[in-house]
Formats: sequence, structure tokens, C-alpha cells
Amino acid sequence: MLRDLFSPKAVAIIGASQDPAKIGNAILTNMMGSGYQGKILPVNPSSEEVMGLKCYPSIESLEETPELAVIALPASRTLDALKGCVRKGVKFVIVIAGGFSELGKEGKEREKQLLDVINGTGTRIIGPNTLGVYFPHSGVNTSLTSRGRLSFLPKGDIAFVSQSGALGLLTMDGVSEYQVGISAFLNLGNRIDLNEVELLDYFADDELSRSVVMYLESVPKGKEFFNKVKQISMKKPVVVLKSGRTQASAVAASLHTGAMASDDAIVNGAIAQAGAVRAYDETEMMDYGRALAYSGKLRGNRIAIITTAGGVGVITADYVSSNVNGVGMRLATLSDETKSRIREIIVPFASSNNPIDLTADGSNSDFDKVIGILEEEKEVDGIIAYPLPQTPKMGVEVVDVIDKYKKGPKPIIVGVLGSKIARDLIIEFEKRKIPAYPSVHRTVKAMKALYDYSTYMGRRGQ
Amino acid sequence: MRNTDDARNMIKDGKVTERSLKEILALYDISVPRGIVVKSLPDRVDLKFPVVLKVSDPNILHKTDVGGVKVGISSYEELMNAFEEMSHKFSGKEFLIEEMVDTGVEVIIGILKDASFGQVIMLGMGGIYTELYHDVAFRLLPIDRYDAGEMIESVGIRRFVNGFRGRTISKPDLENLLLNISKMVEEIGPEIRQLDLNPVILSGSSAVVADAKLISDESD
Repeated sequence: MLRDLFSPKAVAIIGASQDPAKIGNAILTNMMGSGYQGKILPVNPSSEEVMGLKCYPSIESLEETPELAVIALPASRTLDALKGCVRKGVKFVIVIAGGFSELGKEGKEREKQLLDVINGTGTRIIGPNTLGVYFPHSGVNTSLTSRGRLSFLPKGDIAFVSQSGALGLLTMDGVSEYQVGISAFLNLGNRIDLNEVELLDYFADDELSRSVVMYLESVPKGKEFFNKVKQISMKKPVVVLKSGRTQASAVAASLHTGAMASDDAIVNGAIAQAGAVRAYDETEMMDYGRALAYSGKLRGNRIAIITTAGGVGVITADYVSSNVNGVGMRLATLSDETKSRIREIIVPFASSNNPIDLTADGSNSDFDKVIGILEEEKEVDGIIAYPLPQTPKMGVEVVDVIDKYKKGPKPIIVGVLGSKIARDLIIEFEKRKIPAYPSVHRTVKAMKALYDYSTYMGRRGQ
Repeated sequence: MRNTDDARNMIKDGKVTERSLKEILALYDISVPRGIVVKSLPDRVDLKFPVVLKVSDPNILHKTDVGGVKVGISSYEELMNAFEEMSHKFSGKEFLIEEMVDTGVEVIIGILKDASFGQVIMLGMGGIYTELYHDVAFRLLPIDRYDAGEMIESVGIRRFVNGFRGRTISKPDLENLLLNISKMVEEIGPEIRQLDLNPVILSGSSAVVADAKLISDESD
């Protein structure tokens, strides 16, 4: 049912404008510059042409009915525009304007008027108070940020829903450094109509999305929402970033249970119960979203580390196995046979114990052989690999090497420390959908996120 | 307690004594201490000493705060003295005499109604430091065995499953207790706003609810 929102044949932009100071201009510019193949229909009674496109005086004067309309008008003029969309039979309307329930009682009344207009009709509202949506696969981009300020991401596997529009756009801009791809971005704003629960249903069956990441500031219908998360997390991993962790609970605390029930303690339990993975900031959210979208299941908590820098290996070992400033997993104990097979490959002063240190002498083919051996070692469940830039015999071909093992039974998470070469390598890994991160703790925590999700799936019998 | 319909009505009312609440729990295979409710002290009590004496009144929720609890009564003579003192303080009230629960690992199990999440269940280390450590886990109701197991695993109580400082608890039995409480709330407790079972004393495979307090939607 939401299909037409994600890939409409025509999109109307009400309030489209030639004036770069108007948001209707930014939205039209983004819509025209994101590869959208359908029809873009500017609506504005004061122009006959906008940015080279024929402009229509009203939504009702369009020759066809667009599946999606964006109302880029102030709150005071939004209601009439919405009525026009309903009369025209537009299925989805993005209401950009702020000035609704976030402004208190009067705004709440205005919101109710919007709902009254669509009540009993086939029209659905996204928003109000939203920065828009961006669907790279269909090229729909109704975000109101001007190009040049923030980057938009390429096509990818991660569905991203953000209650904060700006945080969402900034998060995308941040990961654009590694050319991380997404399947969809939506800022639901005040979400008076279309909400997260429906989106979860859509993404559960959406073949373009392999994980769902959500930033939430409030969960008004917590039970309904987490029941839905629980239902779809069996099909697709869900990452939840929920802010407001130190907010006091609204519950009156006359008994011990009430005194100990912070809202966040309940949220934390609900996330675990639903099989979602919790992120605590925007970096973790996207890191986990990538690891879960790109990797197969981790069958246990025994991790092998391959590095070309001893220090990186040891810090990683600490992070893997420690409960304090670490993730409390286990360092795999390699069998004697495995160790002797590794010794035949590496230079004499390198370490065949876990963490396996290939030293700066490590090459692409060493990586290949050692990963091959670890794939056969039954004491190992997952592999953390560090092809590091300071190693002269290692080049971008290492991406092909690791890609070879991607479909194997043991998930591989890659870490590349450093600056320019590191960034370029991570981009290459990202292109192959191999999760790669620029620091030790991000690499290890991504492995833990994969472990938590895999454990949940395993115990729930999948 | 006759049946679950009676129990449901009592919970709904919110005016329930500790003993009645424990009898409701017993309907769901939840262990509670043996005890009797009396107005005056009988010539002999068929309970194993030591016992605890508590004022029994549906309107007195926090009995300790008003001096309505005397623990560790080890003989009939001590009970007589305590009873006389208590009857003086709470004239006209009924009293609960209950067997003391053997020592063990003290945990708290609670229910809470949240505006967004509905009824949730909590498990944590019990006793006087409960609110100091905040070592608790919540789940939305109802829970299944997986949830119950994960609740235990996510709090310090898990350390006792394999034995810690000479004390061991049974994980399956604690899971069963959590599941029974979940079932009770689902079947007869939609009006429970808060429920404290604190402490629940665990030792080996035994789990006994030593104290229980309830606030329902209609309590105030």
C-alpha cells in the first residue's frame, strides 16, 4: 500500500518556486537533481514556468493525479492546499510546514483540522513539521536542504527513519564520507498520520531494505510499536536509537517498582524483548545498520583477530573480551593444528596466536591464506580483520580477498585505521557490502551488535 | 480465596490485605509462607517458629512505616508479648501471623502500568539496597520463557545460577515464577497499577514471596 509513496509515477510540488530563498525552490531542486524518472509537477499560481518546468496554478488543474504531493507552504496556507490534494485524489501528501502541535494548543487544533480533511479519504499525510523524504532507488528527494550544504547518499540497503529531520540529514552527510548507501530516508515529523509502525510493515517486505535503523525521541504507543518491532525483527534486523535516556519517569513512585522504573529502563527492556539492537548515538546507529544489513549470522561469541599491527590486535583483544570498556565476548582459542598451519604462512617473528599478527610484512595473499584457515577452525565464530595502510605489501586487492569469504559461515568485520588510504579502503569495502570501520571500538561494537541480533534469532529458533 | 473471579474483583478493588494478596498468588502456583489472620491470639498457633507478626488491614499499605511489623518471633511467649503490644497500637484491627522464610537470595519482582507500554514486569536484586544499585530488568507483559531467561541473565542475579558465596538458585524455577506472575496479571490483573513482591526469597529450587504490596487503578 505504501509502494506509491516510495516510487510514485508523478510528484507535485505545491509552492515550487524560482526564488532560491523559498523552500519550494530547494525541494524542486533536490527533486530534479536526484535521478527521479517520473514526472515532476510544480504548482504555484503566480508562475507559468519554474526552473524550466511547466507550472500549474493549482493541484486540481493538473492533467493527471500524482501519487505524491509535497506542500511547501506555510502552516496558514497548508490546509487549503491539503483540501485540493484530497479532492484530486492524491494518495500521499508530505506536509512540510511547522507550526502545529509542537507549538502547543493552537497548533494542535490546526493539526486536528488536517486530520479532519483526510478522514475517510484515501489520502495519507506524512508530517507535518518534516524535512521530507529521500528514496535513492526511485530518485524521490523532497528534502528542503539546499544542495552543497549536505550530501545525499547513494542507493543501498539501509532503511532510515528519523524523528528529527536535521539529525537524519546530518547523519547521512556524516556517513557519506564512506559512500554508505541507503534504501530510504523518512523524517516523519509530528507523524499525525503515517507512523513508524506502518513503515516497519513496509520495510519488512521491502526487498531493497536489508536493515532498518530508527532514531526516536518519543514512543507514544510503546506497546504497539515494540510488538511490531518484535514481529519484523525475525525477518529483518532493526536498530533503535532512542534519546531522552535520563528523563524522569512519569510514574508515581509509591512502591519500589515504581521508584526504579525510569522510562529508559522500560525502553531498554522493550528493545531487548523485541530483538532490536540498541544504538546510543548516530554513529552506532549507522554502524550497526551496516553490520546487520551486510552480514550473515554469527553462530557464537568466539572471535579471531587478524592484524598487521600488533598494538591494534591487542587493543581489539581487550575490547572483545573485557566487560568494562569492552563488549564481553571471547577471544577464540586456536587449535595447535591451526596455529602450525598459520606459522607456515607468516614470517618467523609474527604471531600465530590470536590475535594473529601478520606484521608489516603481511600481504594480500597472507590475508587470503589465514582467513581460509580460520574458516576451517571450529573454535572460531567470527573474524575481525585489519588490513592496515602502513603495510607495504597490502593494496586494494585485499578487498577482493575478503569479499571471497563474505558468503562463508563466519562473518568478517573489517577495521581500517588511519586517514586517506584508510578512507579509500573503507569505501571499497562499502561498495562490496562488507562492513568496515575506521577505529577499533567501532569495529568491535559492530561485531557485538551482530552477535546480539544473531543470539536473539538463535534463541527464538530461527 | 475461592476462585480467580473473586481474586480478580479483589485486585480491581485494590483494597486487599497482604494475606489475601498472597492467597491470590497461591492460585497461580506461587509459593507464599504459611500464615493465619486473627483478631485475637489463639491458645496455640499451628505454625513453625520463628514467625512474623504484621497488622492486617487493606488500608495500611506500608506497615513497617507505622510500626506494624515485628519479625523474628521465636516462641509462643514472645508472640504473646508482641501481640499484646501490637493490639494496643492497632486496636480493633486484624493481625497476620506468618512463618518466617529461610534465608536465601532476595530478589524483587514487580509489576507497573506505564502509559505508553502498558503493564511491565521487573526483576532485580531485592532487599534494602534495591534502590541503591538499580540493577533491574524490565519486559513488557506478557512474557515468554525466553524473556524470563533474558531478564535473569541481564541482572546480577545470574551470578547465583551457578552458585556464588555458597548460595545457588534455580534458573528454570525463577523463570517459572516470572511466567506465573505474567499469567496472573494477564488473567486477573489488568487493573494492577503497581505490584511489589519484595523480597522474594530464592534458595535452590524454592522461591517464596515474603512480602507483597498492591496498588490498583482504583486504589485512590
